[in-house]
Formats: sequence, C-alpha cells, structure tokens
Amino acid sequence: MTKTIDLGLNLLDHQLLDTDGRRCGKVDDIALEGAPGGDFEVVAILCGPGVWRARAGVIGRIAAWLGGGGRVRIPFEEVADVGSHVKLRKRADELGLGRGDDRLRPYIEKIPGSDH
Amino acid sequence: MKIFQIALGILAAIGGFVDIGDLVFNVAAGATFGYQLLWVVVIGVVGIIVYSEMCGRVAAVSGKAVFDAVRERVGFKAGLAALVSAQVVNLMTLTAEIGGLAICLQLLSGLPYRLLILIAGVGLLIVVWFVAFDWIERIFGYGGLCMLVFAVAAVKLHPAWGAVGHGFVPHLDRESPVLYAYFAVGLLGAAMTPYEVYFYSSGGVEERWGPKDLGLNKVNAMIGYGLGGFLSFALMIVGGALFLGQGIEPEFLGTIALGAEVPLGQIGLLLGLVGILFAVSGAAIDTLFSGAYNLAQFLGWEWGRYRHPRGAPKFTVTWLVLLVLALGVVMTGVDPVQLTEYAVIFSAVALPLTYIPIFLVANDRTYMREYTNGRIANALGILYLVVIMVIAVTAIPLMILTNVGQN
Repeated sequence: MTKTIDLGLNLLDHQLLDTDGRRCGKVDDIALEGAPGGDFEVVAILCGPGVWRARAGVIGRIAAWLGGGGRVRIPFEEVADVGSHVKLRKRADELGLGRGDDRLRPYIEKIPGSDH
Repeated sequence: MKIFQIALGILAAIGGFVDIGDLVFNVAAGATFGYQLLWVVVIGVVGIIVYSEMCGRVAAVSGKAVFDAVRERVGFKAGLAALVSAQVVNLMTLTAEIGGLAICLQLLSGLPYRLLILIAGVGLLIVVWFVAFDWIERIFGYGGLCMLVFAVAAVKLHPAWGAVGHGFVPHLDRESPVLYAYFAVGLLGAAMTPYEVYFYSSGGVEERWGPKDLGLNKVNAMIGYGLGGFLSFALMIVGGALFLGQGIEPEFLGTIALGAEVPLGQIGLLLGLVGILFAVSGAAIDTLFSGAYNLAQFLGWEWGRYRHPRGAPKFTVTWLVLLVLALGVVMTGVDPVQLTEYAVIFSAVALPLTYIPIFLVANDRTYMREYTNGRIANALGILYLVVIMVIAVTAIPLMILTNVGQN
C-alpha cells in the first residue's frame, strides 16, 4: 500500500469489512512499532471491548467491562484496503471477529420468520 | 412511474413526520399562547430539512450513517458520550410513543391500560418481525395521514386568520417570556428530534443511495418534512382556536383528539385517534430501530432492517431489548405525555452532540469529495448550530423555571 493516509482520521474508528463484505467491528486502536526518533510502522489493528479501556477514561472502562473485555489483534498484512471502510483479506471468523453475531445466530434462527 | 413512487414516498413521509412530541408541544403551545408560536415551527421544520438533507447526503456519498460518521470524526471518547446521550433520549422517546399508542388503543377500545400496553408491545413486535419494511413505512405513513383531519378541523374552527398570520412573524411575548421561551425550545426540540436523522440516514445507507440519489434526497427532505410541518401548524391552530383561554391544558392525548371532534363530530374524533395511533406507532418503530442502528454503527456490528434478523443477530437483539425496556417503563404507569415533555427537552440538550459531527463530516472533502456542503447548506448549517447550542443550553433551566411548562 503506497497511498498516504492520516491514521487518526482515515484508519482509527473506521468500519471493518471482512472478505465477504460483512461488518465485523471497528478499528478500535492501532499498534505501531518503531524506535524513538525513527519511522513508525503500523503493525496491527486492535479491536474489541478490551481496547476501549485505554481510550475513554472511566466510561471507557465501564464500556469495556460491559462488553466483556475481549480483544482481537489483526496483523496489518490481513488488511486488503483502507478506503471509506477497512477491508480485510479473510473471513471474520478466521480472524476471530464477529463472534457475538455468530454466537447469537443459532438462537435467532430458531424463531420463525427470522430469515424472511 | 418514478414520480408516482416519489409521491407515495412523500405521502408516507407526511404521515410519518408527526410523533408524540409534536402532538404534545404543538397543541399545548396553541392552548397556552394561541397562534403566537407558529413561526418557531417554521424554524424547526427548516432545521430538520437542513440537517436531514446533510445526513442523507453524507450517507449517499460516503456510505456512512450518522453514528459511523460521528465516531470516525470525533473519536471513541466523544463519540461514546454522544452515543450514551442519544440512547437515553431515544429510549425515553420510544417509551413515550408506546405509552401514547396504548392510550390511543384505550380511548378506542375502553380496555384496561396495562393490558393494552402488552397488546401494543406484542403488536409492534409482530409487525417489525414479519412485515417487510417498505410495507411498514407505507402502512404507518398512510395511516398517519388520517391526522389531516386536524387540518380540516383547523379550518372549520374558523380561527382569526389575521392572528394566525401574525403568528408566523417572529416576535416575543412580554407577559410571560419564560414560559414562551420554554415552549419555543420544546417546539424546536420536537421538530428536530434526532431519531429522525438517525433513521433517515441509516435508511439511505441500507437502500444503497449513491451520488445519483442526491436529488431524491433533497426532494424527500424538503417536501416530506415541509409538508409534515404543515400538520404541526394545524395542530397548533386547533389548540389555539379551541383551548386558548379555556383553562384547558391538553395533558391527555384524548384532549388532542377532541380538537377534531368539536368541529367534525364522531367521525373527526375517530379519524384523529386513528391518525395519532398510526403516527405514534410508526414513530415507535423508527425510534426502536434508531436505537439499534446507533449502537451497531458505533460498535461496527452488522445492522439493517432489510437484513433478516439472522443476518444481523446483535442488532436484532438490541432492538428486542429496547422494546422490552420501554414496555417495562410504560408498565410502571409513568404518564406518557409528561415523559414526552422530558424526552423532547433532553433531546434538545443532546442535539449538538449529533449535529456538530455531521456538520464537520459534510464539510470534509476526504469523505464528501465534490459533494461537500454548498454555500446555502453551510450558511444554514452554521445558523442552526447556533440555534441548537442556544436551545441545548437553555432547555433544562427553562424546564426548571417553568416547572415543565406548568406555570
């Protein structure tokens, strides 16, 4: 990827889409690597309630606790494109994303009319 | 054929504009100040047109609904604050709409109130679960058109048209300026209720609007909300012609329906009640979905009313939980009309948290390319940000000073 983006505005807090176009979380944080004074490199996208703790003080901690505190690290190699959404190269379940939806689906499917 | 479709959409939008907040505040303002506050309704309606056009344009160009854009633009922390306040206000509004629905059912059937709350809840659940969304929009939009009976009633009551005309000219009230200001804030809050833009922009994303739909977006916003505002005028005129100086405070929805009965008899009452029934039911469904949209968009879940429940499980569970919560609150016996006033006043406080980020996004070239706000949208956008800030700051003090509009 060679285009220039502002990480704060164009990557952080954007929607993640998996390879099937499924919405599967947000870029809750970004992991950077690099030496002080040198260049930084984005190495991973972090997402999940566990990441919110560091982002919004007390209400962030409450939100993280309510959300169960889980976190998922997606290596930046898995990112296919950063545009208006952040597109991933794999399916959500392969990356550990969208678990809540997957867990609830069997129950929802038992209710008549859930697929109409 | 296309024009026919647009016309149908507009009809549905007119019927869908008025909710319990508009009903309560317009009739109460009429009963207290006659036609003097009509000009405020005009300001409110133009405000909702400006901001829903903006949200619709953002949705069409960037594919982002309100809370996607809010979080991206202001970040997690400020976005979370906006989300929490939006959800609180939205749940209050939902509760008030469901309470209003139960009252309408009670006035129509005479059955016990709590039983009807349950029936209302189950009814809404069945409709939302089984009926396709374009049909929901049509059914409740057209049903809400029964409220046009209030426009007929307004004419039949032979208001002093000179005074009505004067009401459209902005002016202040010298005798009770504080109460006047309270009603002005309430009318603006009711007209610019934020759930309307959450719902509208999410719908735009779901219907996969693109830049080619920007014309449709403009027409929808202007005509749909504009003509919806016409119903608000009618409600205030009825309130003024019938209740001003009578010492009657329209504290009950039945009193509002009375506004159609006095000039038009039983049929007027029936149409009025049925219209209110459909209007508050439609608004209940809109607020129900808005709550789920907001949360799902903020957290990046799969969402959508056109997606089957199995396609968006967390989204589905969210609206189910919101429905149960709202029913629980209505069951406590809280007065829906009173709750409406609180919901409208608190939504006035929360307005800037939604509208400021939207304004920023609508001006951001990285999102909007060549479709950023033009001069008119920016001039009006800034003007309304000022209006929104003023009402956000003054809403709660005015509520306290006037004892929620009681003195």
